[in-house]
Amino acid sequence: MTPREGLIASTWRQLRRDPLGLAGLTIVVVVGVVTLLAPWIAPHDPLEIDVYNRLMPPSAEYWLGTDQLGRDIFSRVLFGGQVALKVSLVAIGVSMAIGLALGMLAGFGPRWLDRLLVVAFDTMRSFPTIMFALAIVALLGPSLNTVILVIIIASIPIYGRVVRTQTLALREKDFIKAERALGASTFRILVFHVMPNIAAPLLILASMDVPVVVGMEAGLSFLGLGVEPPTPSWGSILNDGYSYIRNSPWPIVAGGIPLIVVTLGFTFFGESLRDIFDPKLRSKQ
Amino acid sequence: MSALLEVRDLYVRYPRSRRVINQITGRGAAWVDVVEGVSLDVSRGETLAIIGESGSGKTSLIMALMGLVTARRGDVRFNGEAVGRNVRGRLQPDRRRIAMMFQDPAGSLSPRMKVRSLLAEPYRIHPGVADDPDAEVQRLLDLVGLSPEFADRYAHQLSGGQARRIGVARSLALHPDLIIADEPTAGLDVSIQGDVLNLLSGLQERLGLALIVITHNLNVVRHIADRMAIMYLGRFLEQGPSEEIFRHARHPYTRALLSANPEPDPDARTERLELTGEVPSLLARPSGCEFHTRCPFVQDDCRAVFPSPTRLDTEHQVLCHFPLPDPDV
Amino acid sequence: MSEPEIAPLLEVDRLSVSYDTDRGRLRALRSVSFDIGRGEIVGIVGESGCGKSTLISAVIRLLASNARLDDGAIRFDGEDLMSLAPDRMRALRGARLAMVFQDPMTSLNPVLSIGRQMLDVQYQRKASGTDKRERSLAMLQKVGIPDPERRLREYPHQLSGGMRQRVAIAMALLMEPALLIADEPTTALDATLEVQIIHQLKALQADFGCSILFISHHLGVIAELCDRVVVMYAGEVVESGTVRQVFHEPRHPYTRKLLECDPARISERTRQLPIIAGALPDLVELPEGCVFRTRCDRAVAECAQRRPALEDAGDGHRVACFVARSTS
Repeated sequence: MTPREGLIASTWRQLRRDPLGLAGLTIVVVVGVVTLLAPWIAPHDPLEIDVYNRLMPPSAEYWLGTDQLGRDIFSRVLFGGQVALKVSLVAIGVSMAIGLALGMLAGFGPRWLDRLLVVAFDTMRSFPTIMFALAIVALLGPSLNTVILVIIIASIPIYGRVVRTQTLALREKDFIKAERALGASTFRILVFHVMPNIAAPLLILASMDVPVVVGMEAGLSFLGLGVEPPTPSWGSILNDGYSYIRNSPWPIVAGGIPLIVVTLGFTFFGESLRDIFDPKLRSKQ
Repeated sequence: MSALLEVRDLYVRYPRSRRVINQITGRGAAWVDVVEGVSLDVSRGETLAIIGESGSGKTSLIMALMGLVTARRGDVRFNGEAVGRNVRGRLQPDRRRIAMMFQDPAGSLSPRMKVRSLLAEPYRIHPGVADDPDAEVQRLLDLVGLSPEFADRYAHQLSGGQARRIGVARSLALHPDLIIADEPTAGLDVSIQGDVLNLLSGLQERLGLALIVITHNLNVVRHIADRMAIMYLGRFLEQGPSEEIFRHARHPYTRALLSANPEPDPDARTERLELTGEVPSLLARPSGCEFHTRCPFVQDDCRAVFPSPTRLDTEHQVLCHFPLPDPDV
Repeated sequence: MSEPEIAPLLEVDRLSVSYDTDRGRLRALRSVSFDIGRGEIVGIVGESGCGKSTLISAVIRLLASNARLDDGAIRFDGEDLMSLAPDRMRALRGARLAMVFQDPMTSLNPVLSIGRQMLDVQYQRKASGTDKRERSLAMLQKVGIPDPERRLREYPHQLSGGMRQRVAIAMALLMEPALLIADEPTTALDATLEVQIIHQLKALQADFGCSILFISHHLGVIAELCDRVVVMYAGEVVESGTVRQVFHEPRHPYTRKLLECDPARISERTRQLPIIAGALPDLVELPEGCVFRTRCDRAVAECAQRRPALEDAGDGHRVACFVARSTS
């Protein structure tokens, strides 16, 4: 029996054959790199006001034109990307971690705890996000951190539910029983045996969640509940552009493009990963 | 010489309806009794086979012994000492002394772990047994006849037979006195079933292991079991030395099981004992002797009265009003 | 051998099927030939990887999308199945070609009642609903299901495994097919149940006169039920003949070893059970010569050079082996 390759090698091999998935991965990587290097590659200071050059169309100097205060939209988009990146990483990271912990507890622990957590998850999910955001903003004032907090609280139940389902499915598997027969503690089982096996669906979910989170941030910033001006965020760029749409379409277009690109990129990539990890498709190889 | 493992009157039940009202009124059967008063002994170096078809309770029996499910009642002694229970009523055997092998060869190995980690894990869970887990990994692979390169493979990179061997290796890690194997030949082609069984009996001789083998495959058991027990609806219908039972099964069910495995010979006229009907549901246990609904020799007593165990011999026991006669006597 | 030339019901003629996988072409079936006469019960014996599933999928033309017919043909009652129009094939399936699968839980629709499903199976018949129901009841009784009226109202999950399989058989026979394909129908059942169902199948076959293609790895059951048997290994037919020929005088080394390994055969208690050492060859990178060579204890030089063809060794007993033919 020829040993088949390990997980990463096989994933990469399959990804290579999927053009959409590759495209998605490329977009993700490019966006990531460009955003990280924003301070070095941005042609202008995103906060630099130049009222004489307001609402200009794209030119050699201003690649995407200028907004109502004469600021270079391209640079603002790049720095807006940093906001998006920060929000995604922090929000998804934290909510995933907490959701993971709670979900595993719910799936593996005693039934009463499971019921309690499920009720908690469902309650959190039933709150309309905007209302919730308004409430938090009223308490803490608008800021990037507020946005992140809102997104975290709204996302925890989603991750928690998925983790719970996966954990429940795993609970009755023979290898988990084998570990218990060995005398492994619940902690050990959860960390070494449950977590690695639910990592894949979780990461796929996270990947598909990035556009959602970025969109949420954009939406909240658009409503003025997020980042404070003059900090650029894709949402605030859109907000600014909205008021001046009759004068120049460029701010709106410029604010919208990165959102579309990021959404497409992460979605293609995430879906490709999901197909790769689908056990039913996998057996056909 | 006292037995290594002594089990007396073990009962296992699973909750069926969680509705309190049903538990109070007794309607809709709140519990399913899957093991009803099983007693067995296993001596050092001995192999006991537990044969049963689906619904017999054999898996629940061993799960209860390993403390994976709650044993409602029963006394278990290991090496002369009583095995205690935890707060939830689960038995707490010394997991270093009793190891278990599960049915699905590859499914009982954690998918994202390399063989190396899988084999080293018992030592991490029970520190103090080995100084150098990595050396033990090699030793274990060697014991089951696998080359060292297997240490770097994942479960899905193993064939059925290889995965089974890893399962055996894992169960040997902590130098147990007893290994419980749940359907060790399940999922394996006939041409390689012998492999696992040869391995187990070889190891048994080398290491003085006791074995409990659960299976529904009687033929397989003939060659490795010293004693066997036939299980039906949670009870042992017949128990005794396997050679004797193979020659002269005294319970009609055992006879039926034995004759149900036809030889690959179109001209063989097996003394076929065919049963009627199917295994009754555990929720609707028949009255009297629970086997009476399928027994070709059923009589009135069988329908009404529950049989008491008949001692045919010091070692051979049967639960039947009218055990089949021994042709030799 | 002069026999009246009655065309066989099913003729599998040098069938070769391969799959396109990322690693390359997986040659699942290579020049498989056998036939099934009318009213005959033919068994296919083989272990995992022998190509049984591919064979069945090919016969009922439900191969996976990455499968390719490399060569050969399957003729059912003279018609070439592979070149049949899809709707003609659909007309055949269920009416003249019926199947019983290994796991009745997945072959029965869990959300429809048994009665409903049995009615649906008869969709090609021009008959009234009452008539179809009567037929369903009669069939359930024939397969030994007690209280058939109640069963019609019940759902698959309410029946035991054995009863579900009987229902599956009843459904398959409802349209009185010419050929019933049974893919390991008793593998998932207990031994005592298996015995009952095999007997039932035999009685039904005598009653209806249909042909049966019975796939199993359980040698004893094949010996008891079938008239003829085809032994497959790694995608090829290595031996075929009547059950007496193959089980009493196995010629191919694989068949011999397989019979040796069958626990029912081993009458003397032994601590060392026989096995077939080695492993299946890689069907993507097939070795030269005989596919069983690496596990054969009687291989000679020729076995590494050419593939032995399936040839008649007398009386319709066919073997694909260089060594087997030279010995008597």
